[in-house]
Amino acid sequence: MTKREVIQTVLAGKVPPYVPWSCGFTKEAGARLQEHFKPLELEEALQNHLLKLGSDIGFFTDLGENHVQDVFGVVWDRSIDKDIGNVVGCVLQDATLLHYHFPDPLDMRFFAEIPVRIAHYTDRFRVFQIGFSLYERAWSLRGIQNLLMDFYDHPAFVHALLEEIADYNIAQVQEAMNYDIDAVYFGDDWGQQRGLQMGPKFWRQFIYPELKRMYSAVHTAGKYVFIHSCGDVDELLEDLIGIGLDCFNPFQPEVMNIESLLEHFRGRLTFHGGLSTQQTLPFGTDEDVRMETKRLLDMGARGSYIFAPAHDVEGDVPLENMLAFLELVQNQPGDREN
Amino acid sequence: MSLLDDLLKSVINGDLNATQNQVRAALAKNIPPEKILADGLIAAMNEVGKLFENNEFFIPEMLVSARAMRGGLAILRPKLAAEDIQPIGKVVIGTAQGDMHDIGKNLVGMMLEGAGFEVIDLGVDVSPEKYVAAVKEHQPDLVGISALLTTTMPRMQDVLLALQAAGLRGTVKVMIGGAPLTAQYASDIGADIYAPDAASAAQRARQMIKA
Repeated sequence: MTKREVIQTVLAGKVPPYVPWSCGFTKEAGARLQEHFKPLELEEALQNHLLKLGSDIGFFTDLGENHVQDVFGVVWDRSIDKDIGNVVGCVLQDATLLHYHFPDPLDMRFFAEIPVRIAHYTDRFRVFQIGFSLYERAWSLRGIQNLLMDFYDHPAFVHALLEEIADYNIAQVQEAMNYDIDAVYFGDDWGQQRGLQMGPKFWRQFIYPELKRMYSAVHTAGKYVFIHSCGDVDELLEDLIGIGLDCFNPFQPEVMNIESLLEHFRGRLTFHGGLSTQQTLPFGTDEDVRMETKRLLDMGARGSYIFAPAHDVEGDVPLENMLAFLELVQNQPGDREN
Repeated sequence: MSLLDDLLKSVINGDLNATQNQVRAALAKNIPPEKILADGLIAAMNEVGKLFENNEFFIPEMLVSARAMRGGLAILRPKLAAEDIQPIGKVVIGTAQGDMHDIGKNLVGMMLEGAGFEVIDLGVDVSPEKYVAAVKEHQPDLVGISALLTTTMPRMQDVLLALQAAGLRGTVKVMIGGAPLTAQYASDIGADIYAPDAASAAQRARQMIKA
């Protein structure tokens, strides 16, 4: 079975020959792993089952002095957070789209590398990524506190903004369908450590209708829908399944009961993630990491699970802890390729 | 007193205009500013905190209530100053060095203000030296440090050590909070208070002042 077929088996709610995996690392953690695996390229060494296509956070123009600008015009300071950065200033100063023009969703930079990457990793399951896929795009343009108050003060503006963002994404989804991809992986954090940032009422009023349109565009083309959404959002899973969600990430053990959720939803929803990045990976021993990884692999043996740390691994995680989970997932019985 | 009840409701509803009008009306009726503050604005934000803890309020509600409370307080502040009514305590807050995530810290600041504290916000990515300098300058009752990342959590302990080295640790309590933090971690590094969210940060700071 190819990696692509193993993921398809899992998404179909069937029992896979082993638990597939797809693990992400921040630049700092990835650089240390790369050093360990050299001369082997990290992407080869990891043997991830998901081939990530497009760009999760978009493309940027370098403005110098650790500042970059995304295609939406938002400036990000990367002097501290080197992977994403922090928004500088506010593109939408007022609650209006009157003077704002959305960028071209069909910018070829999002699609140019897809054929080459697919040709190079033919056996992997292909996901086209759309990061900052709704709420996050809105707050990066408007400022998070402004946007959260706009839910009260300017509901028509919020609807219009989210609708435009969804339209932009749908145009990208439709273009991505011209390539041999398997799924679209959206990314949009809605949660806090406890509960939703905007609460369930506003989520249903503003976010849900646009998700429904975006997910429908993917399903109409016969592809799978993945979402990454950090925090305590499991109260939304039924709603999300109802509009066609196939796979949920990051499945954080600190904010949700991952065992009972997997039992409850197995066969209806696949979970990607699960390994503690807030506690075990940075603060546990390599033995702690091995124990938790084994537990997750046992839990996922009956399907509906793709192993991963519950976030891109941060720079504070010891190398031996990264190697501990990689060795276990790559040496599962049933995985004949490794 | 129904005027103060109305004021309380306006803050809870996040209605800035009504809040300011009712503060003006209460002052016009010669209700003591201290009472307007305690039974109107502070009582309302206390209720907002409870609603947040019960998952009835979320960040948008907290933000609009805090905006209303601040609007009311702006009108009340000169009167409080004229009568020499002091805040219940002074707090210096900021995010840990290297941490740029500030919405949690901002909410804590608003809730502390709503609980009657004077809040000095040092912003994001605050070094231990800056905390020490702020404690020297402002002589607060409490220092609050927030972190979202596991990578910046160790910088909290650096603040505690820097306060110790400057001979200031005994003069001030230290409260920490943020997504990856636990009560155990707070106790391990010797912080005085752990706050899991903005509402409990205000509540625990108030308990500390009363103790």
